[in-house]
Amino acid sequence: MTNNATSTRETMGSMTSRLSMPYTLTAGKAMGTFLAELGAQRIIGSRCAACATVRVPAQDFCGDCGAETGELVAVPSTGELTGWTVTERGILAFVLLDGTDVPLLHRIVDTDVSSLVLGARVSARWAAEPAGNVMDITGFAIDAESTVGALAPTNELLAPIEQLAYRMELTYEHSYGHFYGSLFDSVKNDRRIRGIRCPSCRNVLLPPRGFCDVCFVPTKDWIDIPDTGTVQACSVVHIEFVGQRMTPPYVYAEIVLDGTATRLIHSVGGLSAEEARSGIVKPGSRVKAVWSDRATGSLADIEYFQVIDGSA
Amino acid sequence: MTNIAIVGTGQTAHARRRLDVSQAGLAREAVMEALADAGLTMADIDSVVVASGPAMFGAVNQPEKWLVDALGARFKPVVRVTSGGGTGLAGALAAMNQIKGGVAKRVLVVAYDKLSEGALQASISTLYDPFWGREFAVGIMGFSAAYWRARMDRLGHTEEAAAMVAVKNRANSMLNPKAHVKKEVTVEEVLASKPLCWPIKVLDVPPISDGACAVILAAEGDAEAITSTPAWIRGMAYYSEADNAAHRSMLQSEPLKIAAAKVYRASGVTNPRRQFDVAEVQEPYTCFELSYYEGLGLCPEGGAAELIASGATQMTGDIPVNPSGGCMGANPIGATALIRLAEAAMQVTGKAGAHQIQGAELGLVQAGGGWANLRGVAVVGSTKD
Amino acid sequence: MVAATSRNVAVVGSAQTQLKAAWSDRQHVDLISEAVARALLGTGLRIEDVDFVIDSGSDFLDGRSISNCGFLGAMGAHHKEESRVEEDGLWSALYGATKIASGSASVGLIVAYSKSSESDPNDYWTSLAEPFTQRPVGLDQNAVAGLFAQRYLTRFGVPASALRAVTHRAWAAADGNTFVDATLEMLQDEYWSQEIASPLRRSDMARPVDGAVAVLLASKDVARQIGGSPVWVTGMGSAIDQHFIAARDGATLPAAAAAASAAYRMAGASGASDFDIVEVSAGSTAGELMVLEALGMAEPGKAIDLYADGASPGLNPSGGALPADVVMASGLVRLHEVAAQLGGRSDHAPQGARRGLAHASGGLGMQNHCVITLETS
Repeated sequence: MTNNATSTRETMGSMTSRLSMPYTLTAGKAMGTFLAELGAQRIIGSRCAACATVRVPAQDFCGDCGAETGELVAVPSTGELTGWTVTERGILAFVLLDGTDVPLLHRIVDTDVSSLVLGARVSARWAAEPAGNVMDITGFAIDAESTVGALAPTNELLAPIEQLAYRMELTYEHSYGHFYGSLFDSVKNDRRIRGIRCPSCRNVLLPPRGFCDVCFVPTKDWIDIPDTGTVQACSVVHIEFVGQRMTPPYVYAEIVLDGTATRLIHSVGGLSAEEARSGIVKPGSRVKAVWSDRATGSLADIEYFQVIDGSA
Repeated sequence: MTNIAIVGTGQTAHARRRLDVSQAGLAREAVMEALADAGLTMADIDSVVVASGPAMFGAVNQPEKWLVDALGARFKPVVRVTSGGGTGLAGALAAMNQIKGGVAKRVLVVAYDKLSEGALQASISTLYDPFWGREFAVGIMGFSAAYWRARMDRLGHTEEAAAMVAVKNRANSMLNPKAHVKKEVTVEEVLASKPLCWPIKVLDVPPISDGACAVILAAEGDAEAITSTPAWIRGMAYYSEADNAAHRSMLQSEPLKIAAAKVYRASGVTNPRRQFDVAEVQEPYTCFELSYYEGLGLCPEGGAAELIASGATQMTGDIPVNPSGGCMGANPIGATALIRLAEAAMQVTGKAGAHQIQGAELGLVQAGGGWANLRGVAVVGSTKD
Repeated sequence: MVAATSRNVAVVGSAQTQLKAAWSDRQHVDLISEAVARALLGTGLRIEDVDFVIDSGSDFLDGRSISNCGFLGAMGAHHKEESRVEEDGLWSALYGATKIASGSASVGLIVAYSKSSESDPNDYWTSLAEPFTQRPVGLDQNAVAGLFAQRYLTRFGVPASALRAVTHRAWAAADGNTFVDATLEMLQDEYWSQEIASPLRRSDMARPVDGAVAVLLASKDVARQIGGSPVWVTGMGSAIDQHFIAARDGATLPAAAAAASAAYRMAGASGASDFDIVEVSAGSTAGELMVLEALGMAEPGKAIDLYADGASPGLNPSGGALPADVVMASGLVRLHEVAAQLGGRSDHAPQGARRGLAHASGGLGMQNHCVITLETS
C-alpha cells in the first residue's frame, strides 16, 4: 500500500492511494478439476444430481436448483455461438458447447467480427503453454467445419488445482475536501495544525470535519493547535506483514494534541523498542512533533513525535 | 412482540486452510449442517442473510452474489450484512427483524470467512482513514494493544490476567470438536511468547481460520413445530460509536454498555453474573475478554483480573466464559460472532457435547468489530421468558 | 402471514445531494451529512429522535475496509444501533422498515452513498464476479449489458436503434431534475455515442455519478405526530438470480419479477398498473426495458412502447438511474424520489399520483432486485 500526496497548494485536490493485495484463492473440487484439465486440453463440465442440467465450467453446485453435482463429464471443445458483444477488451461470447445446457462465457479469437452470427459453429483455441487457469483456452473461433461432439464419461481426471494466485490492484484518488484540504494545506505550507470547534459541545476536533460526530451540528470555528500533546495509548509494533508501510519495531501511538478532544494516530520515535516497553513512553507521556523535511500535505510531514518532559 | 428462536445451527470443520472447498463451498457446508439440525431443506427457508467480514479479505466483492448458487437460494431474498468482526451477530439481528417485521417466516443466516486466501493485516489496515494514520496501522492490533496497555495502568488488566484467558480458552478448545487449534498453554508460555505488538504476544492472538457458521431462525409457533429444543432469543442489539468522536473512551466500550443495558432490560437480566449460566464472547485478543467482563457487568470496573484469577469464568466456575474456546480455538473472523451465538444456543439446549455446561438455561453472547466501535450483545434462553 | 410492515411504516422525510459526475471538492462524509441533515428538515425530528441507522456503501468503492466505521458520525449514528447492508440502499430501507414494523424501534435513518469518481468503477463491477472463470476473460458491467441486450433485442425483434428513445427520455427527465447534473446537451457529445459493448453505446449504460441520499422511516404513531402527508410503505420484496452470467436467461429478469410479485402480494396490489409512479434503477437501456417487463408494466419485448411520446408520465419522472447512477444508492434515490413525488415535495411529480413503486438492482447484470411500494393516504 502506498499513499502519495502529490498535490500543490493550488489544487490540494486528491491523494492517490494504491491497494495491492495478494491472494491465494481456492476454486473447489469441480472448478479446480476444470482448471486442471484445461492444461490437458480437455473441458470438464458437471451434471446436476437433481435436475440433470449439464454446465461448463464444472460446478460443485447447481445454480438452477442448488443440488450438488452428481458427476463430472467430458465436454467437446466444439459448440455454437449463442451470444457475443464487442468491447474495448475484446469480444466476449456465450458458447453452448455440444451436449451442455448452459453456455460457457469466454472470448472470441482469430475471427472477424463481421463473420459472427448466432448459431455459428465454434471450436476452442488452446494456449501454447498452459498456465493452469481459464485462459488455457485463449478463446473460441468460428469453425464451420466442426462436427457436433457428444459428452463422454470422465476417467483418470487430473487432481484439481487447489489454489490460484491472484492479486488485486485498486487505485483511489481520495478527495481532500474542504476540511482535510484546509488542514493539510496549512500543515504542508505553514507547518500549522488546525482543528475545528463544535459550537454545541465546544470540543475541538482534529482532524477537522463538517459535522460534530456527537452533536450532529455543523462545526464552526477553525482553531490553531500546537504540535504538542499527550499520548492516550501506545503499543510497540514488532510484527511484519505483507503490505506494511512502516518498518518494525516502531511505537504506534494515539495522541491527543493540546486543546483537542480527538485522536491523532502517529508514531513515537527517537527510542528503541526496549525503551518503549520500559515505560519511557506510556499513556500520559507528553510528546511533541518532530517535523520532516518533506512537504507532502499529509501526516508524513511529521517525522514522528518525541517524548518531552512533563506528564499529563 | 413475536418471540424468535434458533431452530438449527451448523459449523464447518474450521481449519487454518481449507483447500477442498471454495468460499462458496465453505458456506454451504455450514448451511447443510444447520438445515440437517433443524430437519429442514432450503425449500423451507424464506430468506437468507449472508454475513462475512470485509470483502477485501477474500477478493470477491459482495460475495453473496457468488454464494447464492452454493446456498441453493435462487429467487429468494438474499442480502449481506457486514460489520467487521461482529458481522455474524449483526446478520442475525437483521434476520430477526425480517421475521418480526413480517417479511419472512424462516430465515437462514450464514456467516463465513476464508482468511487463508488473503493478506489479513494489510487488508484490515485499510480500516484506517487513508488520510489519518493508515500508514501506522497493524490491522486492529496496534490500537488494541495500545488500549490494553492503557487498561493495565487504569484497570489492572495485567499481562498475567490476559495470559490466563489464553490458558482457559485454549484448554476449552480441547473439548470442542470444531476448534482447530488444539494445544494447551501455560501462563508462563503466554508471557514468554513472542511480542507481535506489545503488550500483545503471539499466544494472546487467536488463529487465522477458514470457517463458516449457519443459524436458522423461526418465530414462536413455527419454532416449536420445527424442533423440540428451540433456543429463544431473549434480546439482541448492535450499537455503534463514531470512531474519532470527541472524548471517546477506549478504556471501556460505551456501545457495549449501551447494547448490554438494552438487551438486559429486554430479557429481564438485572444481575448478569448470577443470572447467566454461560457466556460466549468474541475475543480478537485475550485482552478484550477482560474488558468485556467489565463492559458486560460480570464484574465491576477494574475487577476483570480478579475475576479470571478466581476461576469463575472457567468451565467449572459460576460464570463460564467461552466453553467453546472462543476465538482461540478457531477465528474465521466473519463467522466468529455467529459461532458465539450458535454455541450459546447449543449450551441452553443441551447440545454442546463435551464442552456442555450442565443445566445451562440462560446464555450471554457478545460480539463486535471495526475500531472497537461496533458492539453487539444477545441473550438466549431455554425458555421464552 | 400478515405483513407487519404494510401501512405501518412511513417515509417521513428524505433528501439527496446533487448527483454529479465528480464531487471532487467534497468527501464522502460531507455528502452523507448533507443528505442526513436535509432529510431531517421539516419533519420536526432531531437526530436524537433517530433510533437506528442502516446504511449502504461499498468497501471496494470507498477504498477502505468496514467503511461504515469511518462514516458513523456523518451518518448521525453515534451511540445508535447501526448496521451496514453492502447492497443498494433500497435493501437498507427494507431492513429499516422491518425493524420499525417489528415494534423494536420508532424512527430509522437509511443512508446510501458512493463516490465512484474516486476509483475506476470497472474495478468495482469486475470484482463482483467469481474470480476463476468470469474475471479472467474480461467480464465487466458493459460486457454483461451488451451480451444481455443482444439476447433481448434478438429474441423480441427490437432494433438497437429503438434504445435511443430510452436514453433520450431518461436524460430529458434528468435535464429537468435539479438534483442531477445530466443534460440533453451533454448527450450531444460524441463520447456518448461510442459503441462500448455492442449493440450498446455508452449512452445506453448507466452513467456513474457521486452522491448521497438519506431516508427517514417512522412508525405509524410517529408519522401521525409529524402530520402532513405521510407516505406509507405498503409492500416490499427482493429476490436474487444465480451467479454465472451465462446461466441466466439474459432477456428476462425472473428475479425482478419475483421481487415485484412479493411486494405486490404484501401491498394487495393487482400489478404494476396500480402504481402512478414507477422509479426503476437499471444498468442499461435494454436492462431498463427488462425491468419494466419483469414488473409487469409491459409484455415481454413490448416495454419500448412505454417510451412513445406522451406515454407513461409516471415512469421515472426523475430520469432513473441511466443518466445518474449512484452505485449502492440508486435504488434508495428512487425511494426518495417516489416519496417526495407522492408527498408533494418534488417539482417533477405527475399529477394526482397516490401510489408509487421504487426498484433497485444489484450485482453484475442486475443479479439482485428489490421492490418497495408506497402510497399516500
